[in-house]
Amino acid sequence: MVSSFKHYVSVASCWARLAIQRQLEYPLFLFSWLLMIPIQYFSGIWMLKIIVDRFQALNGWDFPQLTFLYGLGLISHGIFVVFFINTWSMDHMVINGGFDRLLLRPMNVFFQLVASYVNFIGLIDCIPGVIIFLYGCEIAGFEWSLVNIGKLILVLIGGILIRAALFTSLGTIAFWTKRNGSMVGFALTMLERATMYPLSMYPFFLQALFTFIIPIGFISFYPAAEFLGTDNGGLELPLSFALWTPLVGIICFLIASGIFRFGMKNYESAGS
Amino acid sequence: MDAVIEVNDLVKEYIIVKKESGLRGSLKSLLFPKKTKFNGVNGISFSIAPGEIVGYIGPNGAGKSTTIKMLTGILHPTAGSIKVCGISPQADRKAVVRKLGVVFGQRTQLYWDLRLGESFELLRRIYQINQAEYEQNLAILTDVLKLQDFINTPVRQLSLGQRMRGDIAAAMLHSPSVLFLDEPTIGLDADAKLAIRNFIKEINRTRGVTVILTTHDLDDVEQLCSRIIVVNNGKIVEDGPIESIIHKLTPHRMLVVELQKPCADLSTPNAIVIKQEGLKIWYQFEKEAISASELIAALSQKLPIQDISVKEPNVEDAIREVYKTTSSV
Repeated sequence: MVSSFKHYVSVASCWARLAIQRQLEYPLFLFSWLLMIPIQYFSGIWMLKIIVDRFQALNGWDFPQLTFLYGLGLISHGIFVVFFINTWSMDHMVINGGFDRLLLRPMNVFFQLVASYVNFIGLIDCIPGVIIFLYGCEIAGFEWSLVNIGKLILVLIGGILIRAALFTSLGTIAFWTKRNGSMVGFALTMLERATMYPLSMYPFFLQALFTFIIPIGFISFYPAAEFLGTDNGGLELPLSFALWTPLVGIICFLIASGIFRFGMKNYESAGS
Repeated sequence: MDAVIEVNDLVKEYIIVKKESGLRGSLKSLLFPKKTKFNGVNGISFSIAPGEIVGYIGPNGAGKSTTIKMLTGILHPTAGSIKVCGISPQADRKAVVRKLGVVFGQRTQLYWDLRLGESFELLRRIYQINQAEYEQNLAILTDVLKLQDFINTPVRQLSLGQRMRGDIAAAMLHSPSVLFLDEPTIGLDADAKLAIRNFIKEINRTRGVTVILTTHDLDDVEQLCSRIIVVNNGKIVEDGPIESIIHKLTPHRMLVVELQKPCADLSTPNAIVIKQEGLKIWYQFEKEAISASELIAALSQKLPIQDISVKEPNVEDAIREVYKTTSSV
């Protein structure tokens, strides 16, 4: 058990080093990301401010609270993009037989899929996330107590796992359909809408969907409501949401890895 | 000795949706798909002993790659059993793949943007090769495959021959006992082919590595393989030592005679004229029926001969013969 853990850590760290070296081979690409990503997210928060200033608070959420919510969602997105970006390209791997090589190595296939590419450029995604979140904490009056920091870490881990589970499950569909490129775009839009705005402004049907079926409400909405003491204005659940998020994350992740294993059996490789 | 690879009644079934042409056809096959079952591999059995070099050959689409992918645990068979080193790749994939080296000639496992050596370091960790064994293997591989010239070059700058040598080295680092080579000499020049053939002979002789080779290059087969398995339409059509297959399939030899002047009567017992071009005549004869010298003696008494040559059948003829006779099934 310990030696197998060491084995996986040693391979993962080597892969991380190689991934960084590979990305440094193309510095201009890196630079263009550095430019584009912050523009995208800062314009997102600017839009929110315009909406709230011109009209009214969104379902009882004012601008500071919305900033906090948006920042929390962005950070978990940023970390997800660093570690799990390969789940976005599973359909390519199915079509061109990319899983062949992973299956020929004496290690877990899902681990190889994820660990073989650490997208450290994704850290750039985190920069606006962290800035927006810290600003949100400041203006919304978030209390930096040890308990809150612990909860925050749990929420982030849970949120990343929920995202990973969602994209893994969507990617697994490619084992049957061979193509699912547009699913990734669709899921990203859905995630942005559900993590950037308060879930309670949506009709009951969507709230239930994003709570129980595709539980992305746990990524940022429910935890933010608890951290800020906002009435989430929607569904009531017992216990602290900060504890629900990691639990939901772990359950989703386990289900997704089961789906992945099942899909793998259906893998047909590619010709030649 | 126990077999390294034991395959029994292996079947892989694919479901094919028959497409019809045009938009109407596309809509029709979307709503009412005509699914047909098709056995890519249809009841294959063979066993391979340690230290053999086996050529696994067949025309495109015969089921070669599908078989290799089932043997290496990439695909799950529909029916039948596989044992590699006594273990089923479907039951314990990780245990089996530790003992295998696999090279796909058309695809690389090396990192395109990085030095060749970086990919080796990753493999050292993946296969948990201890440092002493790794260094020893790398030294041997470097020596035989002449890697020293390009081990520090990014893979994208390597020539195809260099890249293939790199890929073969990568597959051998963890001292596998079975090596699968899927078209390892495809697109290579004569020098690179020679280097790779020598390497295969070398590891087979010194380390007793069992080699399974799929290729369309019959020179590879002729020079390396003691045994060939020929597949077509998902079935094994020939399995045995290369000489006996050639002999069995093409027992004929050819005598090409060039005459000084045209002659009307060309017939001779035990040989038939199969082609005639001006003064050149091709006689086909059976090894068992008559020897070449007897035939030449008989002909020279009858015809004014200018020049003469004997053609032996080769692997290529034999294989073409197999493909021809089994494709119409």
